[in-house]
Amino acid sequence: MGARPEGHGVITFEGVTKRYPGGTVAVDDLNLEVPDGQTMVLVGPSGCGKTTTLRMINRLIDPSSGRILLDGQDIQQSDPPTLRRGIGYVIQQAGLFPHRTIEDNIGTVPLLIGWGKSKARDRARELMRLVGLDDSLARRYPYQLSGGQQQRVGVARALAADPPVLLMDEPFSAVDPIVRATLQDELLRLQAELHKTIVLVTHDVEEAIKVGDQVAIFRPHGRVAQVDSPERLLTAPADSYVESFLGFDRGIRRLSFLAASGLSLDDTAVISASLPAWEAAEQARRTGEPWLLVTGADQKPRGWVAADELRPLPREATAGDAQLRPYGHTFGVSTDSLRAALDATLLSPAGRAVGVDDQGRVVGVTSYERLGAAVEAGGPAAGPAGAAGAAGEAGEAGAAPAAEASHTGTA
Amino acid sequence: MDWQQVPTLVWESAKLGILPALFGLIISVPLGILCARWKWFYPPVLSGASVLYAIPSLALFVVLIPYTGLTDTTVIIPLTLFSLCVLIPNVVDGLRSVPEPVRQAATAMGFGQWRRLAQVELPISVPIVIAGLRVAVVSSISLATLGQLIGVSSLGYLLIDGYQRAFLTEILVGGGLIIALAVVCDLLLVLVRRMLTPWRPPRRRREQPEAVGDPVPALAGGTP
Repeated sequence: MGARPEGHGVITFEGVTKRYPGGTVAVDDLNLEVPDGQTMVLVGPSGCGKTTTLRMINRLIDPSSGRILLDGQDIQQSDPPTLRRGIGYVIQQAGLFPHRTIEDNIGTVPLLIGWGKSKARDRARELMRLVGLDDSLARRYPYQLSGGQQQRVGVARALAADPPVLLMDEPFSAVDPIVRATLQDELLRLQAELHKTIVLVTHDVEEAIKVGDQVAIFRPHGRVAQVDSPERLLTAPADSYVESFLGFDRGIRRLSFLAASGLSLDDTAVISASLPAWEAAEQARRTGEPWLLVTGADQKPRGWVAADELRPLPREATAGDAQLRPYGHTFGVSTDSLRAALDATLLSPAGRAVGVDDQGRVVGVTSYERLGAAVEAGGPAAGPAGAAGAAGEAGEAGAAPAAEASHTGTA
Repeated sequence: MDWQQVPTLVWESAKLGILPALFGLIISVPLGILCARWKWFYPPVLSGASVLYAIPSLALFVVLIPYTGLTDTTVIIPLTLFSLCVLIPNVVDGLRSVPEPVRQAATAMGFGQWRRLAQVELPISVPIVIAGLRVAVVSSISLATLGQLIGVSSLGYLLIDGYQRAFLTEILVGGGLIIALAVVCDLLLVLVRRMLTPWRPPRRRREQPEAVGDPVPALAGGTP
């Protein structure tokens, strides 16, 4: 672990256990390192100790034994309010102060550390723009905002004093799925810009895979089952618990991590709208393609045409005159994943999906054969049977093998 | 009857209604804070306040006369003690009305205990505390009329004088003025609450917070 470069936000759990007076063990001998500037997602069923783990970082809960280091310092040595002002905290339902305006909510920590009112308000406006909130909301009260807006304010408030570490406790679980997806995307965008050390707790494995650089999967009673990158988790779950927790469609979801650029696209089935219909029909006969994609002069897709429907057209007709079927969702060849390409293919009436470049111009079309080849090239997903080797290789994540070893001891 | 003395009587009644509630508030806030903090402390305090409330006011006046004489103080002390019975529970309920996520967020932002109390918990308690204050003021105004029996003047004078002289108009005027004073004080307190809590949702619209400028509408319909 010493090889890691020093950062401001490295969080290290060393043998941390939390035992409650009744004898309940919430967290059991946790060893975990959250690298600086990365997002670590703690995920697991309710009662698995993930929230307790999070709350130990800002000392809302103190561990029964073990040490937690923040940037190399034992947090047990620091004064809790001072420690907390340096750690952003976002919770479910935002937890905004109902009696303070949006700008004063956001300015909470700056005011606590003595910035003065006008500087705190300037900072609040700046953050509102950062999280996508209109300036006109600054003087409103939390009850006047929607759930999604409140959650944005919660994030802005946590970022106000520019802390290196951000703790997020089920931040998006109280909003509806559409808003949740937007907020997750915003978090990814913010994180790409800000590079905070983020620890995020969720029970939603889909969210964990989406927003995490590293994901720690917890078992009931506060033990870590596996810590790995989302891709590694989906490819090589350490055991059947992790596998079942990830869900049955992890094979499909793994495709999210394979770039669509690995796909070889077919451009012989792409024709211009100005091409004479009989020529297009001839081309379809030669290649044996039942469907052709018609593009406009701007090289953007216009629709699918069935080869059978080209032949009866009059001799002077062009391909653009044929009856066109909607081309459905396209996918970006350089930006999207194989999963998006597969999804677009499954939804297309032609059984083929259109890959486009950054300007939306057609690059080529997919087919199931071509998708199959790309998936195969991406490597097979190992099941838990192959996990012994996989867990051994997970050393990059640091804690997983060690945690596993100590857990067999305590079990 | 002597209309000249009515303004003075109204003023006396208002004083005897408002002062006990204010003194009661000054005592209730710290006690309520302690009760909210230490749960074991609340039941004995509440029982104490109830026992005080059960003492007949006249009896208390009589007990106090040797110490404080036939003055306003003799009326104000018992009414202050009575007000505790509504004010302490309301302070406690007010503090308990602070949503747990809000309390937790405040702690996690780095508020110390006292700062959190002063800047977050007490301001959020204001609506419930004022609700208690309204009850305390109204009941003090009505109880204060009994002070007339020991010669502490208030609108109670019109009732007692009217009764002794079998003068119905005076009784009706007295009763009407007492009710009017109570209503005015109550409305004033509602006004104070509105001014102190612009952050409270109007009751009707609480279920559907207005979304402004959000490109994504909240389908689930706001906060629970």
